[in-house]
Amino acid sequence: MNAFAIALDSIWRHRLRSVLTALGVVIGVFAVVTLTSLGASVRSYVQGQFAHVGATIVTVSPANPGSGAKKHPRFAGAPGGAPSTLTVADAQAIAAAPHAHIQRVSAVADIPLTLGTTPGASSGVAVSGVQAPFFKIEQIPFLHGRFDGSGVVLGYGAAHTLFPGVANAMGRTVYVGTHSFTVVGLLKKGSGIAALQSNREVFLPIGTGLKLAGLSTVAEIVVQANSTQNVNAAATAVTQVMTARHPSKNFTVTKESQLLNTVTSTVSTITTFLAGLAAISLLVGGIGIMNIMLVTVTERFREIGIRKAMGARDGDILVQFVAESVLLALLGGAVGVGLSAIASSIVAHLAGFPGGLTVSAVVLALVFSILVGGVFGVLPAMRAARLMPVDALRTE
Amino acid sequence: MSQALQASEPVIAVTGLTKIYGQGEAQVTALDGVGLEIPRGQMMALMGPSGSGKSTLMQVLGLLDRPTSGTYRLNGQDLSRVSSRAMAELRGRRIAFVFQSIHLLPRLSALHNVELPMIYARMPSAERRQRALDALGRVGVGALAHRMPNQLSGGQAQRVAIARAVAPGPDLLLADEPTGALDRASGREVLGVFQTLNESMGLTIVMVTHDPLVGRHAERIIEMEDGHFIRDYAVADGERLFAHQEVSA
Repeated sequence: MNAFAIALDSIWRHRLRSVLTALGVVIGVFAVVTLTSLGASVRSYVQGQFAHVGATIVTVSPANPGSGAKKHPRFAGAPGGAPSTLTVADAQAIAAAPHAHIQRVSAVADIPLTLGTTPGASSGVAVSGVQAPFFKIEQIPFLHGRFDGSGVVLGYGAAHTLFPGVANAMGRTVYVGTHSFTVVGLLKKGSGIAALQSNREVFLPIGTGLKLAGLSTVAEIVVQANSTQNVNAAATAVTQVMTARHPSKNFTVTKESQLLNTVTSTVSTITTFLAGLAAISLLVGGIGIMNIMLVTVTERFREIGIRKAMGARDGDILVQFVAESVLLALLGGAVGVGLSAIASSIVAHLAGFPGGLTVSAVVLALVFSILVGGVFGVLPAMRAARLMPVDALRTE
Repeated sequence: MSQALQASEPVIAVTGLTKIYGQGEAQVTALDGVGLEIPRGQMMALMGPSGSGKSTLMQVLGLLDRPTSGTYRLNGQDLSRVSSRAMAELRGRRIAFVFQSIHLLPRLSALHNVELPMIYARMPSAERRQRALDALGRVGVGALAHRMPNQLSGGQAQRVAIARAVAPGPDLLLADEPTGALDRASGREVLGVFQTLNESMGLTIVMVTHDPLVGRHAERIIEMEDGHFIRDYAVADGERLFAHQEVSA
């Protein structure tokens, strides 16, 4: 009958109490493992998406003059960012530059007008002004038609929003503000996060869009390098062209790979932060274990007394009670890992990215629950171990 | 220490043993400087009313508690300054106990209960199993080895507890009111087992009792009052009771 067999017996004898005690650890481990595993899944998913699509893209976006801030376009382009001075002419200049590494260029403008199927109606779908190479750069293939400069192109999701139940919306009319446009192209459903936005948009020739909105500047210019290896060279070339045209340096040039780094490190930070919060609940679970172990020790004075009278050393008693709290925490941890395996596969399934637990999260959580059981078990166990046998036997 | 030397040495020799509980006003002197020698192979009864200090003496002799002052030699070894770890290693092995309330662990079978002190002595499992079965057989409950304590009568349980005490081969058996929780017939059986162990194995036995009839099963009686010895005498041959003869009679 070793310490762990005794511990298991004691845990089993007080099943309900053991379950309730371990619940704190179950929840703590569940939270830590689920959050870190989901974080890791999101990170590897994002990395996979960028490796597929965005690795060759260089983006020019507005910045405060001379700030040189390394802001990223999709974050810095929000209202309140630097006012744009980029124009379609800038895009043309980049395209015209005699540089072999620059393959395609498109200006992108947000057109702040309503879009609907009747004049002036608003469907909530966003309108962007782009140039023809945009779709190749973003790797969104056409389902029907093409971007020929006459009408509008609908993103997959936008087409379904505007014309629900219509299989093929080619030739239909949409209104940007009060101006009518014919649908001349439909996009395939892009996969991955890079395409999430373009799925929901309607694309207009940029010149037309800017004129309707009364704008002269664009939100950003996207540039595609001819290969992954040449992204840096392309970025340098773009910077040269743009510096010549904007001596005040009121723009930034960003590689999508930088954006990837930002996204992954942001995900990591959020994951760590949340896992840290979850770890606090693990700590609370440990305190619950300590509480119950103190009760257990008090209840088992007689047993402790008998064991000591039979020659158990202080260390034997200490090991017995620490084993019990470690086992309790470990069982809680195992249940927590099981639950988080279920939860993270459900969440991953719903969100549409590969799920699964990370080995490191599981190992870390189990090691942590052993530590919690050990640390919070030592104090009650010391109490038990230090009893004089006569005192322990006196309590009946 | 040689076998011959050991034989001449008393199992226990204590001098000036004092135990004081509490502090200041609430101070109680449970043992007031008692001295005692118990020769090897003696069966002795410690008698006296409640609060006379007999249980305290037993606990101190059994290393369940430390005396406030005095010297204590077990087989000639001075235990006055010994560590609590060393005390633990003597308990249950060199000095064994039988309690009034029996104190078997309820979740272990009779056999596992008997093995317990030998587990703590880190004895190899085959040897301790054999010793446990032998001891259970010797006290007449060999057939009950795999029963749980709640499946045993009081007398059977106390015999299992005696088997647990003697299985490791102790120098001294201490019994605190061993018949106190038993009916008369079971009590007599337990006393018979003690007398048999004392005669056949030469086991030194000290039992605490307040019952004069139980005391008369011993060969020597010490009577206590207020932490002092008041009488120490041998039971006259004609006076001594033998449990097995009572049963047959």
